Amino acid sequence: MKSLRRDLSANPQAANVTSKVFVRSTKSGKVQKIVRELYLREDIPCSSKLCSQCPTIAPADANGNIAPFILSERPAGTTAFPRGHYLVPDTNALLNGMDLFEHTGAFYDVIVLQTVLEELRNRSLPLYNRLLALVKSDEKRFYLFFNEFRRETHVRRGPEETINDRNDRAVRMVASWYGSHLQQSAKKGKKEKAIPAIVVVTDDKENLRKCKEENVTALSLSDYVSGLEGSEMLLDMISESKDARDSKETTRGELFYPEYFSMSKLTTGLRAGTLHQGVFNVSPYNYLEASVKTAAFDKPLLILGRDNSNRAIAGDSVVVEVLPQDQWKSPSTKIVDEEAVTRNDNPDTEETEAVVTDRERKALQEEVKKAHGKHAEGRPQPTAKVVGVIKRSWRQYVGHVDTNSTGSQASGRRQQNVFLLPMDKRIPKIRVRTRQASDILGQRILVTIDSWDRDSRYPTGHFIRALGELETKGAETEALLLEYDVQYKPFPKSVLDCLPSEGHDWKVPVSKEDKGWNGRKDLRDLLICSIDPPGCQDIDDALHARVLPNGNYEVGVHIADVSHFVKPNNPMDLEASVRGTTVYLVDKRIDMLPHLLGTDLCSLKPYVERYAFSVLWEMTPDAEIVSSNFTKSVIRSREAFSYEQAQLRIDDKSQQDELTESMRALLKFSKVLRQKRMDAGALNLASPEVRIESEGDEVGDPLTDVKTKAMLDTNSLVEEFMLLANITVGSKIYESFSQTALLRRHATPPPQNFEELQNQLSKKRNMELDVSSSRALADSLDRCVDPNNPFFNTLVRILATRCMTSAEYFCAGAFTESEFRHYGLASPIYTHFTSPIRRYADLMVHRQLASAIGYEGEDGHAVIEGVTTRNKLEDICRNINVRHRNAQHAGRASIEYYVGQALKARGEKMAADGVDAGIEEEGYVMRVFENGVVIFVPRFGIEGVVRLEDFVLPGESGARSVAERRELAPHRTTEFDSEEYTLRVEEKGHPEKERSVTVELFQKVRVNVSSVKEEGRGAGKRRVRILVTEA
Amino acid sequence: MSSQRQASSASQVPHLSPAELSYLYTSLSLPKNPIRPDGRSPTQFRPLSAETTILPGTNGSARIGFADGTQAIVGVKAEVEKTVLAADTLDSRSLAQHGDALNREGEEGSAAVSGQGEWVQMSIEIPGFRDDDALPVFLSEMMRESLVGSVAGGDVDGAKEMAGGLKGRLVINKRWHWRLSCFSPNLSHTPSPLLSLTTHLALLSTKLPKLKSTGEEDPFFDDDWAAAEYLYPRSNTSKSSLSAAPSYPVRPPVTLLVIAVGENVIFDPNREEIAVADAVLAISPGIPNSENVNMLGATAGPGEESGGQEEVEGVWRPRRGGVKRSVIARMVKTVLGKGGVGEEVLEGLEGVEVQ
Repeated sequence: MKSLRRDLSANPQAANVTSKVFVRSTKSGKVQKIVRELYLREDIPCSSKLCSQCPTIAPADANGNIAPFILSERPAGTTAFPRGHYLVPDTNALLNGMDLFEHTGAFYDVIVLQTVLEELRNRSLPLYNRLLALVKSDEKRFYLFFNEFRRETHVRRGPEETINDRNDRAVRMVASWYGSHLQQSAKKGKKEKAIPAIVVVTDDKENLRKCKEENVTALSLSDYVSGLEGSEMLLDMISESKDARDSKETTRGELFYPEYFSMSKLTTGLRAGTLHQGVFNVSPYNYLEASVKTAAFDKPLLILGRDNSNRAIAGDSVVVEVLPQDQWKSPSTKIVDEEAVTRNDNPDTEETEAVVTDRERKALQEEVKKAHGKHAEGRPQPTAKVVGVIKRSWRQYVGHVDTNSTGSQASGRRQQNVFLLPMDKRIPKIRVRTRQASDILGQRILVTIDSWDRDSRYPTGHFIRALGELETKGAETEALLLEYDVQYKPFPKSVLDCLPSEGHDWKVPVSKEDKGWNGRKDLRDLLICSIDPPGCQDIDDALHARVLPNGNYEVGVHIADVSHFVKPNNPMDLEASVRGTTVYLVDKRIDMLPHLLGTDLCSLKPYVERYAFSVLWEMTPDAEIVSSNFTKSVIRSREAFSYEQAQLRIDDKSQQDELTESMRALLKFSKVLRQKRMDAGALNLASPEVRIESEGDEVGDPLTDVKTKAMLDTNSLVEEFMLLANITVGSKIYESFSQTALLRRHATPPPQNFEELQNQLSKKRNMELDVSSSRALADSLDRCVDPNNPFFNTLVRILATRCMTSAEYFCAGAFTESEFRHYGLASPIYTHFTSPIRRYADLMVHRQLASAIGYEGEDGHAVIEGVTTRNKLEDICRNINVRHRNAQHAGRASIEYYVGQALKARGEKMAADGVDAGIEEEGYVMRVFENGVVIFVPRFGIEGVVRLEDFVLPGESGARSVAERRELAPHRTTEFDSEEYTLRVEEKGHPEKERSVTVELFQKVRVNVSSVKEEGRGAGKRRVRILVTEA
Repeated sequence: MSSQRQASSASQVPHLSPAELSYLYTSLSLPKNPIRPDGRSPTQFRPLSAETTILPGTNGSARIGFADGTQAIVGVKAEVEKTVLAADTLDSRSLAQHGDALNREGEEGSAAVSGQGEWVQMSIEIPGFRDDDALPVFLSEMMRESLVGSVAGGDVDGAKEMAGGLKGRLVINKRWHWRLSCFSPNLSHTPSPLLSLTTHLALLSTKLPKLKSTGEEDPFFDDDWAAAEYLYPRSNTSKSSLSAAPSYPVRPPVTLLVIAVGENVIFDPNREEIAVADAVLAISPGIPNSENVNMLGATAGPGEESGGQEEVEGVWRPRRGGVKRSVIARMVKTVLGKGGVGEEVLEGLEGVEVQ
């Protein structure tokens, strides 16, 4: 009987066929045995430019070209390897030192093994992606070698061999193969000169030993780095966790945190409903308090204290277990700042610490006391503890070194532990081991978290690089961009290659026979104009209106035809989809698309012809829409107005030209549209935004640049038509793509989100907030007016906005039609169509609309790619939702920073004359805590925490330094009424009414705003200080 | 119908003339020294070749073939399945306990849980028959029952793991178990004993992924197939123990066909021999608990005196009248007795390289 089993020994061809067998457990609980056949080949090139053999055997593509060889023929040498070397890192080396591999000073010519790449992917997806990015970029000469598929380097797992050992063996195998291969095949003449050494980089001691046995050159990461120039800085970039792992068994015995549950226990608990999963959200006011929103409960679960948080960091996806009812507490009414509470911690002396310091315990105990109080409002809420982490969302963090933690002998070059205080207050201090403590003091630095072990009170991380001096423009801007994950690197060449070759000279073709005119309407005769903020360069939209012979109006919205220039799936498109949106900072704009497109070719600049995508409506004079029509077009804008200019022109009765008339018509329509929208229940929400209008004069008071946003009629003119266009397009693409239309929705917020605000309003102002529908909410918001306090209404609107969920992009198939609703706009369907230059979503919608109206593109090939695959669209939605939010946060943070700097500049100017007196402003109490309040200052659009010491009591001088004020805090006591939202601050032993200050929620107070330098501890850290001078 | 009949191998009468049949019967019933058509001794099996793990995607598989090309292939697949609690145990009390059990991880272990027969499935495909036709259903049920019925003897190696027999082995914890599906594709002319042997071998080679979770947690397995464990634990010293210790650990049963012709007991009969047998017994020696095991395959005819027709020399007539008790007893004894043929067969199968 002939055997049916595949017998590898008998078959001479068998050497190139083998198989891989493993067990796969699926999410649904299935357990499968998977058998993969591997066909080994001999034509996978070594990709070294030295090699004379591989170019002849490397597989060629359809055009007969082989992929260019990557590894340099003259790789860099070191003292140990004067003839140059190629690096072969193993997985651990990459895990511990990815930042090193990304460093531009060293680590060139690296052979990345498929084995290592796959192992890395299982260990850490972010690192895997970073490595892939390295492999893709040309600069660093990383070559991905498919060693598992090359016959000579394929390694079969031996019996009883662990997978790690097998992979290590694969690495050694490749190294020795490369060695002998290059020896054999190096081009003649070069042979004698330089065959580069193949250096395995591994942190595995066993592997190092075996390398030695097998005559493979191998070094540990730190040994290798020590031999490089500038090793001191580089050594800091090696991940900390490795050292910790080595020393763990020997040194520390004390474990601060409970162990996480095993993965299987977690999944069992999650399925059984005894455990819950959610995202760990740290309170911005109290670093010891976090909440986790889970599917099982309406309200988020509270997590109090460090031991319950159990090493979770803001943003992590965690599994929590609800604590017994007697441990339930109400949310904290106190402001707790990590810096203040743990300021004396020493990064080196860990052994003596308990996980909850007394001070922390005290802060918590007071909360328990509160929870047991009489009031209904502070009802204890379910609390929970973290029992496992599903996914870490650790990223790179920007911060600065805590001066206190550097110790006295900071000058020495020895390695020491320092604390890094992240910019983001919700992130705990990070212990960083560095040899350059003295150099990085006072710098903005970028670090990453490596691990957080049970025996460490703080997470451990390592230094990546310094961004520059604190408070320098460059460093702070970069810090901001890094913190909000904005891609700010210049566009790579591959993207720029996608631009039209004509560059700035590109023009709409003159001849209508040109293919560029295919499917386009000639709208150059229309009197089109654009209205934008002053100085706007990327003009997305333009408008026109004209009377039709039948007495109706034709109204047109013309949007820059970006999809004409950005073809799906080319490098430019991919880059834009990753960036997702343009980010506006005060003094910088980080474009989604290259400059040439954004500000020139796509931008609907006046007086030149541009491609556009037009939405045309026929409207009755009462703004009833008769019909709508979509077309690609060519337009010529007659004028680019700023809001103000447009307003002036409309108001100027002497202007009677056609263009002005059409603008007046537009304005008239917009008012009708707005009224209709309001009647439908659209919300008029407020955000505390200010604009920075920098004229660039260094002489004037920089604070005058800070302007609250003025709302002109022309603002709302543009807004109304953009909304109308978006809605019209939204329903059109949904009609054509019922599953894949890219839409935007704003979910109806659950009523319990408003509970707190409703309670506050009824207590303090006896006002009702009806949240039963958006209409009811809009109406009741309108009724929230305090005649004595004109800003009160805006304040309530700001607070109401915070109770809502944020709008999001989605793919039509992901929700039922009833859930498409945009709550804030009271529209049943909505999308983004009008800003394709700065938002990727709009670009996608353009493509979908083009496809929906049957536009066939220049060459007659309908471009439906990228509009039909739902999975891909959902990925895009997820990304642009995140990018959108980050861009908003970055923008706000940038303004905040600018305001701080403006205050500082002003302060310094004043200080030259005398004392820095700060600036007097109006403020409003937004939240009341037990030991402070949050004040919102509309003039600067900032909100700040006012602590006890920052209340200026009657009869006390306001002009004290920070240090002096800090001394005040212990001498003050408060009386806090959480039901009435009032806080009375008084000096200890002086309960007289005259000498105390009472503040309450929504109250208008006089405040003194200044920018102060933190003294003593937070080396040169600056914050905006708000002093309450008058209640 | 007639074509179907032909396809059903087990009951098929070979195309031999009455004279040939008569000759065969005579030579087989020669006292003490039967002469078999292929020259084998009465206890000699046909030479067969066997191999395991021929279907890479299965948890275990085997193929056995005779020299004449008759062969059987059996594959075994294992799936994780949630145990549905019987209605009476599903009261609130047990649910509460269940919650406790999560916390008190595996204090009690899963010893209390016994497996269920329906966790083992057997499907046999016979061309020309629908899968719910009587023949395939009967055949597979026959195989399945003996599989499920096998239990460990008290003092045997590996008895601990196999406490509840195969059923017990399939229990992962209180809430999860393995479901085993054995399938045999395209069984055209395979006699059932061959199928049984192949199933036995396939089960011997069956491996289950190694469990990493403990206690009452949802099961979680090692992703390394090499770490997977045999369904029927193998003794490490298999070769030496073969001869030394006759008490092999629990093994899946095999069913052997034994026929009686006259006074002779003949093993592994081929089709022609079955046709002239006085009695055909299917015996499963793997199952110590023998009462439930022995299956009377067929007797040659009703126990009635010959009704008039004289027996003519050289012309075959089906036998009438029963078989003597002593013959049956001898048949059973040769198979099941200590050092009997059954043991021999099992040892032989044990010796097949399963990896």
